[in-house]
Amino acid sequence: MNLAEQVQAVLGRGILPSVIARGANLRVAAVEDGVAILVVTGSPGAVFPLAARIEALVRTAIPEVAGVRLVPPGGGPEPPDPGPVGGPPEDPGDVAEAARRVLDAEINPAIAAHRGHVSLASAGDGWVRVRLEGGCQGCSLAEVTLRQGIEPILRARLPGMTGLVDVTDHEAGTEPFFSAEKR
Amino acid sequence: MIPPGGAARPPSPSPPAPSPSRAAPSPLRSAPRVLLLVPARSYRTADFMAAAGRMGVDLVVGSDGALPLGGRPVIPVSLADPRASADRLVARSGPVTAVVAADAPMLVLAATVAARLGLPHNPVAAVRAAADKARQRMRWASAGLAQPAFRIVPAAAPDEAVRQAARAVGFPCVVKAISLSASQGILRADDTAAAVAAARRIRLILAQARRPSGEPLLVEAYVPGPELSIDGLLPGGGQPSDGGLSVTAIFDKPDTPDGPTFEETMLVTPSRLPGPVLLAAVATAGRAARALGLTHGPVHAELRLGHQRPVLLELAARSIGGLCSRALRFPAGLSLEEVVLANALGRDPGPAGYRQARPSGVFMLPVPRPGTLRAVEGRAAAAAVPGITGLTISIPVGQQVRPLPEGDRYLGFIFAEGDTHHQVEQALNTARERLRVGIEQW
Repeated sequence: MNLAEQVQAVLGRGILPSVIARGANLRVAAVEDGVAILVVTGSPGAVFPLAARIEALVRTAIPEVAGVRLVPPGGGPEPPDPGPVGGPPEDPGDVAEAARRVLDAEINPAIAAHRGHVSLASAGDGWVRVRLEGGCQGCSLAEVTLRQGIEPILRARLPGMTGLVDVTDHEAGTEPFFSAEKR
Repeated sequence: MIPPGGAARPPSPSPPAPSPSRAAPSPLRSAPRVLLLVPARSYRTADFMAAAGRMGVDLVVGSDGALPLGGRPVIPVSLADPRASADRLVARSGPVTAVVAADAPMLVLAATVAARLGLPHNPVAAVRAAADKARQRMRWASAGLAQPAFRIVPAAAPDEAVRQAARAVGFPCVVKAISLSASQGILRADDTAAAVAAARRIRLILAQARRPSGEPLLVEAYVPGPELSIDGLLPGGGQPSDGGLSVTAIFDKPDTPDGPTFEETMLVTPSRLPGPVLLAAVATAGRAARALGLTHGPVHAELRLGHQRPVLLELAARSIGGLCSRALRFPAGLSLEEVVLANALGRDPGPAGYRQARPSGVFMLPVPRPGTLRAVEGRAAAAAVPGITGLTISIPVGQQVRPLPEGDRYLGFIFAEGDTHHQVEQALNTARERLRVGIEQW
C-alpha cells in the first residue's frame, strides 16, 4: 500500500463519516514532499472546521506525512488561510469590508432578537467565513438561519461571493436559542 | 509543512461538485423542490440540509422555530395550531414534489400538508396511530402481531386500575407514557407498589411536558432478551403483506437495558443476529407498519427477541433519532438523510442495504444525575481513541439536565468504526470512560 492509499485508509477509518455527515467528501490526490493533498468535494465549507483534526489524524497515523493540504476539485482559486480560530480577520479587502457592513447593518440587528451575533472571521477570494455567537452558537436552527437567511442576503449584496463558511464551534455554545432533543 | 488547521481550501460552492466516489450519473441529481418541516429542537436539521445540498434539492423550509431574520424564506408553523399551519404551508410553499418531516414533531403536519397538496405520503390517521403507543398496541393486537401483553389505563383511573393492569400482564411489567419518545416516561415495575409509583411519576412527567390531561398510560409485560432496532423505508403504492419494508439499517443494542429506566446507550451495526432471526424481525416490523396504515417513507422499529421470536416494542414513522444516523453510510457515500429524501421523491437511491462494509456504532451518553451541566472533560482523549470517528456533546454547559425517566435529552453522541464489532464496542466504551461529566446538583 503506497502513502496515498495509506492516507485514504486512515481517512476512511477516522474522519470520513464526519465529513460525509457534513455533506462533503475527501479523496487523496497525492502525497508530495510529505504533504497529503486532499481533494474536497460536496457542500462548500463543510470540511473547514475539521481541517486541524484531519491533519492531526493523518500525521499521527502516518509519520511520513508532515502536513495536509485541502484543495477544491480541478484546482481553482485558493482562499486565504482562515487563520487561528479567534484571531483577527485576514485579508480585510473589499469583500471583507463589504461583508462586515452587511453583517452589521442588516444581519446582526435581526439576529440580536435571538441574543445572537455573527462575526466575520475572514474573507478572501470570494470566500466569507463567519462565526456565530451568543444565541446562534449551538442553536439547532443555526444551519437554517445560515443557509436560508444569512447566505441569501450576503449573496444578494456581494455578487462576488463564492461561498459562505461557518467556522463556529457550535459545541462550545452555552446559550443556544434552540437546543436539540433526542427523538 | 502545512501548519495544523492551515491552508484549507473550500470546494466550488454552487452547485456542489460531485464527489469522486459519485462520478457516475446519479438519480438524485436533478433539482426537485421539497418542503422540509424542521422542528426547532431537532438534531437533524443540519444533516437534512446538507443532504439536500448534496442532492441539489431546492428546499422550502417550514419551522416552529421563529428565525431571527424575519422568517424571510422560512414558513413559520405552530404545532399548537396545525390547521392554520397547514393552511400557511399550502399557501406559501409553492410547487413542491414532496413533503418531508425532519423529525418526529412534524410528522402529522407533514402528512396533513402532503394530503392537501395531493402528494404521495402516509395517511394522516396512520401517522397519528404511529405516534400513540396505545393505538399501536391495539392495532397490532388486531393484526395478530407478536407484542407484549398490555393494558391501557385511563388518565383519571385510580391506583387500583394500575394494580389490576400490572397483575393482568404479569411481573415484571413496564409502565409507559403513550406519547413521549427517547425512553422518556418509561419505567419497569417488579410489583404492584412499584407499578403504582411508576404511574404516578409518569403522570407528573406528562404534566410537566404539558401533554393533554386525558392521556392514558400503557402497562405492558416486560420482555427480556436482546434488543434491536430496524430502520427501513416503505416504498408507497401497493405493498406486499410483509409491508414491503426496505431495510436501511439494523442496529444491535449490546447493552440492552433491563430497567428500571431504559436508556439507549450503544447501538452497533450491522447486526450480528442470525439471518433467519433478522428476516423474521424485518418481516414483523414491515407488518407492524402496514397494520398502522403506513405506506410511505422511513420507519424506525424497536424489537426484542423473546425466545428468539421478535416481539414488537415500538415503531415510529420516521428514521432513527438523535444524531445516530451519522453512524451510517450507504453506497456512494450517501447519508441516511439523502436516502430518505430520495425515497420521498419516489426515486431509487440505489442499493441502500444494511450490510455496511465495516461495523460502526454510536454511543448515546445518558445524563447520570440531575443538576446543572458544568463540564464534559476528557473529550480530546476520548476522540483520540482508535476507531472513534466523532464525538458531539449536544447539551450546552450551563443548562439543567435530568436523567430518565424525566429527561428527554442525551448528553451527546460518540461514533466509532472498526474492522470488527468488538473493536467498535471497545472503542465506544473506552471513549466513554475517558469522559468526565461535571454536573452541579441542585
